[in-house]
Amino acid sequence: MERALRFERYRELQAYVGWTPDDTRRVMAAGPRIEPHLTGLIDDFYEEIDRHPGARNVITGGREQVERLKGTLIGWLRELLAGTYDSAYVERRWRVGWRHVEIGLDQVYTNVALSRLRTGLCRALEQSWDRAGGDGELDETVRSLNKLLDLDLAIIEHAYRSEYMDRLQQTERLATLGQVAGGVAHELRNPLNVVRTSVFYLLNARNPIPEKTAEHLKRIERQVTVADGVISALSNFAKMPLPAFQPVQVSRLAHEALENEGLGDSVRVETDLPESLPPVLVDGDQVRIVFANLIRNARDAMPQGGSLTVIGRAADGCVEVDFADSGTGIPQEDLARVMEPLYSTKARGLGLGLAIARAILEKNNGSLKVASALGTGSTFTVRLTASSAKEAAT
Amino acid sequence: MIVKPDPKILIVDDDVDICRNLTDILTDLDYRVDSAHDGPSALELVRRTHYDIALLDLRMPGMNGLELYREIKKLRAGTVAVLVTAYASGATVEEARAAGAWQVVSKPVDLVTLLALVDEALGQPLILIVDDDRDLCANLWDLLRDRGYRVNLAHGVREASEKLADSSFKVVLIDLKMPDGNGAEVFRQVRGANPQARTIVITGHRPEMDGMVASVLAEGADAVCYKPFDVPRLLEALRSLARPGGELLESRPGAPPE
Repeated sequence: MERALRFERYRELQAYVGWTPDDTRRVMAAGPRIEPHLTGLIDDFYEEIDRHPGARNVITGGREQVERLKGTLIGWLRELLAGTYDSAYVERRWRVGWRHVEIGLDQVYTNVALSRLRTGLCRALEQSWDRAGGDGELDETVRSLNKLLDLDLAIIEHAYRSEYMDRLQQTERLATLGQVAGGVAHELRNPLNVVRTSVFYLLNARNPIPEKTAEHLKRIERQVTVADGVISALSNFAKMPLPAFQPVQVSRLAHEALENEGLGDSVRVETDLPESLPPVLVDGDQVRIVFANLIRNARDAMPQGGSLTVIGRAADGCVEVDFADSGTGIPQEDLARVMEPLYSTKARGLGLGLAIARAILEKNNGSLKVASALGTGSTFTVRLTASSAKEAAT
Repeated sequence: MIVKPDPKILIVDDDVDICRNLTDILTDLDYRVDSAHDGPSALELVRRTHYDIALLDLRMPGMNGLELYREIKKLRAGTVAVLVTAYASGATVEEARAAGAWQVVSKPVDLVTLLALVDEALGQPLILIVDDDRDLCANLWDLLRDRGYRVNLAHGVREASEKLADSSFKVVLIDLKMPDGNGAEVFRQVRGANPQARTIVITGHRPEMDGMVASVLAEGADAVCYKPFDVPRLLEALRSLARPGGELLESRPGAPPE
């Protein structure tokens, strides 16, 4: 987030809590009253940290670091009471949250630590208050101080969360990269293996006959195409085109996909796709890819043959289509991951089929869910928005 | 004069192209080669024939290469396994080696390395252990495999005669007392089927077996080892018979693919 945006955010939050120049004036007036108590407040603060391993563990520099931190904290408190809440002020608050992520301090400690400081500040204020004029102004000052501390906490928390998410995403990106490396390595090294062995044969065979030579050259050509296909599949996944929405009958898409896949005799196909189903508003070419992926998965789950049942039904402005196979089923521990890109339970393949299906359906205002039982089979349910419902909504 | 048959190699990979390529390369070098595209059909071949070496793709649909090797080892413990993989973690390599697979090589296969491994495996003396004690056989298998021997196992007289008909052994270790017959029969079969093979008889029942020990020694058995084994002595006896004048070889650990 940009510096200007951070300041703007602070201003917005100030408006939210109802911060006024009167608040600023009261806090500034309280400053000299609290000043003599600051050292005691800070000593108490660090003594308490010492009693909590989760907070203490982030202090790795011993006494020396604690002294330095005390200096920082006293600066922070003086600034709090100084009455200048400009962009530089917000930046320093932001850095506190950012720093907490860096040193691995759990955000809960920021909350309770601020609570402790708040109690200390209010007590110092009460003790130093001249009660001759009544408690009205004291109450107002405590309220102002609380608003100010809440604003500080909000900024620190915001900084913490945004920095934390950044780092989390970085870690996830690295994990994904590892996954990609594994999946791609497998799919590319197999064709490379064929190419390399063919080249070895062509270079080293003691008795090469012309037919063999031609055979190996063709094989190299074929495997280069396979390797190229792997790259294409990956880059197609990375840049899926925007859908061109058209009303279309799911029964037509499903029958086309079934015909294209040519399941063979070992898989018995049953369909129940009534013509009365409302048309859906999707990119037919894209949804056909989804259906094809689900049909191929069903086939792969039934190496010994079985049945595939495709059932469509209208449901609440949507059309749902089940693809139910009688195959091996998916173990419970894999079920949550099968739609992740590059996650595969098959010996061959990149593990992109279901990830592509899900991505396509999201872009087509649809969704995909799966239910499975080991040894019984899996049912993938595609949910698509009915054409009339969509038009009514827009 | 016994004509030594060309070594036999089994290739198992679900990729038909890679099977054909390796077949072409190895056939051109005068090896006898069979190939299969899945575990069950590979096991069919293994039941019929002894293979010196099995090149197994690790990742295959159904039975993977390591599961397949475990089955092969039950049928033909003397077959040396080289697993081929596109992407293996250190854990996979450990698991493969723990199961007794000799090497794990990564794809794309470097043929110079692979052919050197094939040569090296074929240079390892082939031993047959005939003993009905399966635990002892498993221990000896680990011990001898680790020292660079190829070790086939037979758990009785009948199985021993099948194994003797299949391959020619450098050394045969024979337990003299087995449920389906005695070791002296096996010893005589060795003399008939593998006359060049050296023999070590093993026995735990000294007084009652003395007569049989004396007679097989008179007929040309090379050594006797009494149970429980003095392992260093057994290894030394084996080394002097299997590698006369040779070095004590250590099996090389396989380099894990990155």
